[in-house]
Amino acid sequence: MPENLQRDRAPRSRKETLYALVYGVAVAALLAVTGGVPASADETCQSPYMPKITGEEEYIYVWTLGIPGLGDGSDKVVTVDNRKGSPTFGKVIDVDSVGGRGEAHHGGFTDDRRFFWAAGLDDSKIYIFDVATNPANPKLVKTIGDFVEKSGGAAGPHGAYALPGRMMISTLSNKDRDGRAALVEYTNDGTYITTHWLPTNEKTAGAAIEKIADGYGYDARVLPRKNVMLTSSFTGLENYMRPFGEVVKDPEAMKKFGQTMVLWDFHARKPKKVFHVPGAPLEVRWAWGPQHNYAFTSTALTSKLWLVYEDTDGQWKAKEVADIGDPSKTPIPVDISLSADDKTLFVDTFMDGKTRVFDVSNPHKPKQIYEKRIGSQVNMVSQSWDGKRLYYTSSLLSKWDKTGKDNEQFLKAYTWDGKQLKARFEIDFMAEKLGRPHLMRFGSASLYGS
Amino acid sequence: MFRQLIASLAMVLAVTSAGSLAHDARQDRAATAASGLASTNYAFPLPEPGSYKLPPIKRAAGGRVLDESGRAFDLAGFFKGRVTVLAFIYTRCGDICPVASLQLSLLQDLAATKHDVANQIRLVSVSFDPEYDTPEVMAEHAANWRSKEPGAPDWQFLTAPDREAIAPILAAYDQTIGPKRDPNSPTGPLHHIFRAFLVDASGRIRNIYSLDFLDPRLVLNDIQTLLLEKHTNTNKRTAR
Repeated sequence: MPENLQRDRAPRSRKETLYALVYGVAVAALLAVTGGVPASADETCQSPYMPKITGEEEYIYVWTLGIPGLGDGSDKVVTVDNRKGSPTFGKVIDVDSVGGRGEAHHGGFTDDRRFFWAAGLDDSKIYIFDVATNPANPKLVKTIGDFVEKSGGAAGPHGAYALPGRMMISTLSNKDRDGRAALVEYTNDGTYITTHWLPTNEKTAGAAIEKIADGYGYDARVLPRKNVMLTSSFTGLENYMRPFGEVVKDPEAMKKFGQTMVLWDFHARKPKKVFHVPGAPLEVRWAWGPQHNYAFTSTALTSKLWLVYEDTDGQWKAKEVADIGDPSKTPIPVDISLSADDKTLFVDTFMDGKTRVFDVSNPHKPKQIYEKRIGSQVNMVSQSWDGKRLYYTSSLLSKWDKTGKDNEQFLKAYTWDGKQLKARFEIDFMAEKLGRPHLMRFGSASLYGS
Repeated sequence: MFRQLIASLAMVLAVTSAGSLAHDARQDRAATAASGLASTNYAFPLPEPGSYKLPPIKRAAGGRVLDESGRAFDLAGFFKGRVTVLAFIYTRCGDICPVASLQLSLLQDLAATKHDVANQIRLVSVSFDPEYDTPEVMAEHAANWRSKEPGAPDWQFLTAPDREAIAPILAAYDQTIGPKRDPNSPTGPLHHIFRAFLVDASGRIRNIYSLDFLDPRLVLNDIQTLLLEKHTNTNKRTAR
């Protein structure tokens, strides 16, 4: 027996256990607030079931779309060094290509944060990377290539959301390439469990419908303490894999965008209410505060900020709370990021390449307090848990990104002091022959006790 | 007495910290703990047993374990014929494991009030720290938590002969355990992600709980859902 164990050999007494329990309850209270282990830094849009990084994020993992003729042309996970004082700070230190191009888009970590699932919107493949063995050097350990078959026809895997011991994959489409979508569950080691199709007018699954149940999907996120899950809605393969210029000129295609959000009984995985939220509501961000029973989303086509909230009468409701830019100019809001204190919401708009910052202290009356042009186009934004560091990437979809000189492809890192963004570093993904950077996730060796 | 005391303290702590750390589910747990029985004031309405499905996730693995008296068993043997709630813990844990054990103790109390359920379920706590958590230590630990009520469901406290024996079990349940940077951490020397598993009478995992959802009434509803499913399947076979 190791020496340190021998010193502590006596069984824990009831008194000691009592102390441990009280301490444990205190920690549990903190868990209830943070959603995981006590956190001091991490992006704020992660699953609440996941441990958080203690200290600053050390690595940025960027799920990147390959570009034909650029570098190896393959989709890849790009690892960027964010360690203070590192000789490679702000540089690419690892590239893991998946050997093909399948419209790299979103992904996420497992609940133990040991594996990063990266999904392809076009080929419906899911790549599972080990990020725990060496956080500076992720390794592809498994590829799920039969997602459509196993799920019963769901396609276009989008988010990968950590649940206890399993992953929930929200999809955008199906084998017929339209917008009917599903939530598909897998074990953490990549074994299929089950599929939940989003409700439609014909198959409501018992949900109350405000106006329409279109069955479309996009994001899926859980507020555990209220046992509710919210899903949002975008469009199917037939639209998102078609050049954007063609889609907007096709009236029939423009009818095929989501206009709903669904509130679910999460534990039972049953839809309860289908809200009418026209204009393709995309990212869902639950507030973190222990009494904050609300979430934000933005609508891509109508440029509105929406609030889904539990009202004083106990009913969940959805309403518009702000314009994002000038909706008549169709700025196309894309990613949003809510600060851990629920006071500040960053909203990116793809067309004008801007990030807008809203004071959402009163979630019913957001006020824009800042805006900055990040580039000719911008999509994703991730922030640290302390809200002091923000990261932006440029790509939306391979066929929707701008062309010519406006097709800037970058990762840009900033500091935020509550008033303005200041540049830290940037990486030109075209010059580095990497591709179109999309989703960002943070990594750190501190997560694994080493 | 011990459990009532810690439950009361849990409530006091929860209530006194409510201003800054208010969490309706936690407060409810505290109220549950204080009463020693299940509360009817949950933060969210619970779905009725049998009104939802719990799809099989994967086979619940076995492996060589020791009971409190040091007798060797196959872990999978504990799953046969009963719905099992399986949790991986270690007794030196100073944060999550004691709270999880409190929740399981409340589940045991709650199940004891339902005689038709109590004899069809089992709780199993398995230590992943076999070098410290010997059968004797687990016996002492069990004495702190296990109900002495005659109608309470069985609760086993198991460990393994050594690290080599527990390793494949942990791998099968996707439980990664490692030393913390600070071996003297007041929250215990080991880093782990808490998960509890609901295993059906056929030995299949049907749900996985984080601490958020290890709520006694919620878990009991899941147990009853599996028992109803078993009853329905039996009736179907009888009808054929």
